[in-house]
Amino acid sequence: METEQVNPQMRVQLSTSQLDIVLPERNRSILVNTNLRRYGLSSLVNTLLGNEKPIPFDFLINGIFLRSSLDDYLTQHAISSETTLKLEYVKAAIPPIHLASFEHGDWVSSVDVLSTTSPAQRWSNSGGQIPGHERILSASYDGLLRVWNISSQITATSPSAGDGGHLSSIKAAKFVSPSRIASSGTDRTVRLWKYEEASDDSPAVMSQQIELYGHKASVDSIAVHQPSSRLLSASADHTVCLWSTRKSDAPAAPHSSLPVNSSRGAKRRKIGPAISTSQRGYLSSLKSHTAPVSSVIFAPNDPTVAYSTSWDHGLKTWDLPTSTPVDTRSTSHALLSLAAIPYLKLVAAGTSARHITLIDPRASATNVVAMTLRGHTNAVVSLATDPNNTFGLASGSHDGTCRIWDVRSTKTDKEGRVGQSMYSVGRESIGGVSRTSGDGVKVFGVLWDSDIGIVSAGEDKRVQINRGKGAGPITQ
Amino acid sequence: NIDPESLLPKLPSPDELRPFPTTCATIFRGHGGRVRSLAVDPSGIWLASGGDDGTIRVWELLTGRQLWHVKISSEDAINVVRWRPGTDAVILSAAVGEDLYFVIPPIISPELESRSNTLLDEGFGYASSKPRSDSTAKIPAVQWSRPTSTRLADAGVLLKTRLRSTIKVISWHRRGNYLTTVSPSGQTSSVMIHTLSKHLTQQPFRHLKGLPQSAQFHPTKPIFFVATQRTIRTYDLSKQELLKIVQPGARWISSFDVHPLGDNLIVGSYDKRLLWHDLDLSVRPYKTLRYHKKAIRQVKFHTGGLPLFADASDDGSLQIFHGRVVGDLMENATIVPVKVLKGHGVMGSLGVLDVDWHPREPWCVSAGADGTCRLWT
Ligand SMILES: [Mg+2]
Repeated sequence: METEQVNPQMRVQLSTSQLDIVLPERNRSILVNTNLRRYGLSSLVNTLLGNEKPIPFDFLINGIFLRSSLDDYLTQHAISSETTLKLEYVKAAIPPIHLASFEHGDWVSSVDVLSTTSPAQRWSNSGGQIPGHERILSASYDGLLRVWNISSQITATSPSAGDGGHLSSIKAAKFVSPSRIASSGTDRTVRLWKYEEASDDSPAVMSQQIELYGHKASVDSIAVHQPSSRLLSASADHTVCLWSTRKSDAPAAPHSSLPVNSSRGAKRRKIGPAISTSQRGYLSSLKSHTAPVSSVIFAPNDPTVAYSTSWDHGLKTWDLPTSTPVDTRSTSHALLSLAAIPYLKLVAAGTSARHITLIDPRASATNVVAMTLRGHTNAVVSLATDPNNTFGLASGSHDGTCRIWDVRSTKTDKEGRVGQSMYSVGRESIGGVSRTSGDGVKVFGVLWDSDIGIVSAGEDKRVQINRGKGAGPITQ
Repeated sequence: NIDPESLLPKLPSPDELRPFPTTCATIFRGHGGRVRSLAVDPSGIWLASGGDDGTIRVWELLTGRQLWHVKISSEDAINVVRWRPGTDAVILSAAVGEDLYFVIPPIISPELESRSNTLLDEGFGYASSKPRSDSTAKIPAVQWSRPTSTRLADAGVLLKTRLRSTIKVISWHRRGNYLTTVSPSGQTSSVMIHTLSKHLTQQPFRHLKGLPQSAQFHPTKPIFFVATQRTIRTYDLSKQELLKIVQPGARWISSFDVHPLGDNLIVGSYDKRLLWHDLDLSVRPYKTLRYHKKAIRQVKFHTGGLPLFADASDDGSLQIFHGRVVGDLMENATIVPVKVLKGHGVMGSLGVLDVDWHPREPWCVSAGADGTCRLWT
């Protein structure tokens, strides 16, 4: 027997901070069925806006995405349906679509881009040739750097080991400016390269400018700040080093670190007389971590401050002018990656224990862990800030996926409120599916650029580009 | 009415005993044939492995990237690889047939390489300046030398010594100057103690009953443990006398490990048993643990401060235990099985052949007859 179900209704107050989707005043306070979920509410708002082509919307209550029916939300939070519920709507994040993959001959460890919105381009003030001429930089375990155009063509490759290039795998690479690149790797060096594109059709050239010596083990992460000519490096030797990117004010290289001091070095590498390069040393070596340093970044709004993460479970804040560790935040797991979320004044750290920890690095903060993001099934080794969403983040994991996060997207599990990812992006090389422990398709590097999209690199010897859209910038 | 269950001591649930390894994070592929041995280096960033293909390999621990390898032999398997303890130098020891090799893998800084070279070379001076009159055994002195192959020397294989029979076990003293080797078929010279700084090989026991299987130094005292098939004898090295005969009750001991504090030991046996001994308590096992369907090949305590131990079995699995040792002599260790790690394939009735722990983290690594190594986190 069928019964006519009358759905209870409640009043909601709709608002948004995105100017192009504001509702007229009279449509903002409406009665809705409490059985509605995100999809139903989204259709409703589209109707109210009179959109011919519907835009998917997401809804926030008290800064958290609605992930159930209104009814369930009221029950969970013990709220009466008599209450007027304040609902903030935003354009929903769109699932990232695979655009292109660049094939390499070996594992790809790290990626960076040059676009109108990338830091290297912004610092240069050159305006430049972009858009349409974006560049993608990849660093490979084969010891070579490659610059690609967006049509999957290589514009330049760095010199090989025999010609003055890296002696072994490269672990990190970044554009310093449109004509300059920095890289580091298992040969314990940081190197600066000149990158020149000819105005005619002749190929671009990458030539070495400076070799930076001082680390005693693999250099796994670098950060650059062109306006102050500073570079930071993080190494398995437990130190962070601060360097000048200018040859003129960089100190001489410490003699003991040079490869000529290796008894078997010269013989092994079969390199002739030293290639004419400039060997330099660090400005300072920052010692305080007690295990390999996995990642280092400049503070988003202050290039005299740096953050670093280590296998010693700690996040450290450094005062660079004095080379002093000013604060340590200790967690329960080895930290393997780092990115800032400037708007929230938080940093995100990826762990060996398969999650991401959001940490408030300010000494005044009483809670070390602001939030935990769960979903990856293996180590989280790379993190990137979302350029379009102040609450967003992308992560790369050894589980063979990148995940897209919005810290307002949460669920409640046995340990309380944890962040859950919006989307998971698999490797196109295996059809985008996931694979146990990411065997063969580990992601090593991820970067999120406003123009190009989510660029990731991994064990599948590919750089993969996906594009989606975040939930849109939040106007303050 | 008393519920008899309520009288039993309550074991904590595994969830309360975190952290411990739960999942396979990395598979190391490259060996052709069984991987017989593996070890995480003292700094915790590299994994060394050796196996039937006669190669030693060094890998990045987290990514599984092979950094370096050398083929030592085309006939013999690499039976053991063990890093010298300490981070002042990087030296890898390996046993191949009757040969004990010392290797400096070319993956380190010039400073470390030079210090490591110095440690390996020190003994050449000693050997030439002093006649070997202090040798305790009346056997021809064992010669230490550079490998004659320039190919090996170029690859970083810089020192070797040849014993009289196949070496199955290498175990270092924690200060990194002494190491012991066990050659089960070596009869009177089956257990040897080597002094790296003097290039000196000594036979500590003239009369050893039974077939030696494994040996280890006490972590802090001048005490030495030798396992034969059925018993483990502890000796005072300075007084050269027998202290104790530990009797696990196993039919054939495969391996044992001494707890980092020195008062407890775990024993693995080919008859599927894992035994925990509290040396203060008794020469009989404090606990007998039977969790495997096949032989236990290796047992290992975590040495970086976590109350964990693991065993490796021919059934293809590893069993992880939480075992907290309490300082109080009256109180006994609490042992809780927390996780079975499965993934290795069983090949020709052989499963997991070796296990080791990360020096700090709750991570372990395993070597399989299936040709892979695995990192579990
Ligand atoms: Mg006791």
